[in-house]
Amino acid sequence: MSASTETGSPAGKTWKSKEEFLGCVILTDWILLVILFAVLLGSFHIHYMLLAGDWDFWIDFKDRRMWPTVAPIVAMCFAAASQSFFWTRFRLPIGATTVVLALLIGEWINRYDNFWGWTFFPINLVFPSALIPMGFWLDIVLMISGSWLITAVVGGLGWGLLFYPINWPVLAQYHQAAEIDGVLLTLADLIGFNYVRTGTPEYIRMVERGTLRTFGKDVVPVAAFFSGFISMLVYFLWWNMGKWFSTTKYLEIEEV
Amino acid sequence: MNLTTEKAAGVARAGEVDTIVNYKPAYITMGVMLVFYVGIRIYEQYFGWKAGLDSFAPEFQTYWMNLMWTELPLEFVAFCGIGGYLWKTRDRNIDAVAPREEMRRILTLIGWLAVYAFSVYWGASYFTEQDGTWHQTVIRDTDFTPSHILEFYLSYPIYIICGWGAFMYAHTRIPQFAKRISLAFLMFFAGPFMIFPNIGLNEWGHTFWFMEELFTAPLHWGFVFFGWFALAVFGVARQVLDRVIELSKEYEKDALAL
Repeated sequence: MSASTETGSPAGKTWKSKEEFLGCVILTDWILLVILFAVLLGSFHIHYMLLAGDWDFWIDFKDRRMWPTVAPIVAMCFAAASQSFFWTRFRLPIGATTVVLALLIGEWINRYDNFWGWTFFPINLVFPSALIPMGFWLDIVLMISGSWLITAVVGGLGWGLLFYPINWPVLAQYHQAAEIDGVLLTLADLIGFNYVRTGTPEYIRMVERGTLRTFGKDVVPVAAFFSGFISMLVYFLWWNMGKWFSTTKYLEIEEV
Repeated sequence: MNLTTEKAAGVARAGEVDTIVNYKPAYITMGVMLVFYVGIRIYEQYFGWKAGLDSFAPEFQTYWMNLMWTELPLEFVAFCGIGGYLWKTRDRNIDAVAPREEMRRILTLIGWLAVYAFSVYWGASYFTEQDGTWHQTVIRDTDFTPSHILEFYLSYPIYIICGWGAFMYAHTRIPQFAKRISLAFLMFFAGPFMIFPNIGLNEWGHTFWFMEELFTAPLHWGFVFFGWFALAVFGVARQVLDRVIELSKEYEKDALAL
């Protein structure tokens, strides 16, 4: 093909008119945003489901110790990378909110269409964790501070601390105690036992144990604080990952 | 939406419009993909339970293995065909591309990227998490489960083909991507592509260990690692936008005033 000819525009000009340019740029900006959204959705979702998925899938995995530790740390990776791109390149404080919104759209479609629609688990067993208020928090800290360092420290800690409280309004009812056949358990456990899965056995389910407990009733604050600490470190690393993946470097063909 | 201008003032003859942007082929492709995936999902709904539980049963061969042995060769042909066509019809005079033609090709590339992004959603999000719920429900007796036949061997090859098409289109028609290899574009295509060979590791591992019980099992982390490379869409977006700005210098102030 050698369609390297120009038809209809003034010699050497890209655009025929300002109207053509503006119409094209506005449309194409929107399409680029949709592209970014869909790619972030796909890559964040595969990352999140294979690093924190089991705690996110099932109500009986949403415990006080492992879930609030693992889920925020894993979610922080893409939030930081996305902030790095949108803030550094465009001064848009929307990176974290955008990427968690993308993840949640992918998750909700899946939980309804596949977990419920194909394998018939009830939605109150499989609804995903809430993350959007954490995205707001991280973006607001970045917008106000204008500093990724402050966002890592203040935003990262808040990211971990916020996770359990924002999920609590939905989760609380499932942590009600129940006694079934002389065994004390939560409603979440009971729902899980009624829908037997390959992840049901207690030697597989990674949740807090009643034995060898160090923190007594204060499990959640300790887990959330630890999660916030690791989230800070993850933020540093993944902010730079986001920068690295924003590279505009070219390789010579001989190098490849 | 098409933005078209007439080639000659006062004369609007058929076939003589100078279209700078036409996303209709991308919209149609995504529409076809959507209809196809909804159709295949309905097939799965019915035949997953009816014929997908026992891989030694004759109906499993009929409804699932035949599907796999049909889709894999078609995907291979599509991969070679698209790459071969784009290479065969490449611009052999890439240094002579006029600015308006270059812009037209950049916008066509964005259409390719939109199709790629849409296919990444289906593969990486929809069908991958769907596989998790199937494994939680049905103990498998084969690597080729109904969900794998649609996930690993259908939706993944389809996004690879779309990414390959986008990469080859850029490499054969757009000067900035033709003379050198964009590191970001290479990662954006090659990272998600590597998820497909990683299935080899995954299924090899599952041959020895039943680990479906935990979707977060370390054996699955290869998918995560290669999935990260899709973040190179950041670099690709920057490279495309940088060139659009360079080609549109005369209207820079108008764009900033938006």
